[in-house]
Amino acid sequence: MKHKFEPVEGRNAEIIEAVLNSAEVDGLSEDCKFKIRLCVEEVEENILAYSGSTWIEVWTEREGSLLTIGFRDGGIQFDPLAAPDPDITAPLEKRSIGGLGIFVCKKMMDTVDYHFENKCNIFVMKLRVA
Amino acid sequence: MDVSIVKEGAKTLVKLAGRVDTTNAEKFQTDIAPLMADAAPDIDIDCSNMEYTSSQGLRLFLMLQKSVSSKGGSMVLRNMKQQVKEVFEITGFSNIITII
Repeated sequence: MKHKFEPVEGRNAEIIEAVLNSAEVDGLSEDCKFKIRLCVEEVEENILAYSGSTWIEVWTEREGSLLTIGFRDGGIQFDPLAAPDPDITAPLEKRSIGGLGIFVCKKMMDTVDYHFENKCNIFVMKLRVA
Repeated sequence: MDVSIVKEGAKTLVKLAGRVDTTNAEKFQTDIAPLMADAAPDIDIDCSNMEYTSSQGLRLFLMLQKSVSSKGGSMVLRNMKQQVKEVFEITGFSNIITII
């Protein structure tokens, strides 16, 4: 599946459904779909909040049991993996929500990768699905 | 996400059902606002029908827990589905929010 969403704002549910209904994801376990839904939501929200792009291209690929979900956008250069992980051992009063979404992706996916290429942010996550 | 709140004596019983995500986080925040208005909160939240939360939902649970703790109250989340619980665990939220 490969699809370009333009504009981006308000398209979160649509983007998630496009990924979940793709041939590469359809038929996977509920557990995998839960992780995919969550991580797609977090990445899309992150792009919306920081890159300011008016479009996002989302694609899915399968190579055997390895699922790839990719995002490309034309906004300002922003590496979500550059920020330090949130301190998940901090006491309640020192907890904040910053960086939690991408942290969840790092934990739930097998790999996450960011690079900037041809003036586009490219974020790719991979999950072993079997 | 559907939120039902019932007061039973000093205790507040809450039932959550559905998903908390980007599309409804604002509504969820409005729905749980009464819980933050309680002067002596003793909140019991049944999560058995809660299907999903993203970091948007976590943000609101954190806000609620901070409100409850600042008043010396208590809050428990019970019967959470394993997948949802995993989100609380990997983010360390299970260390600061009581999940039973």
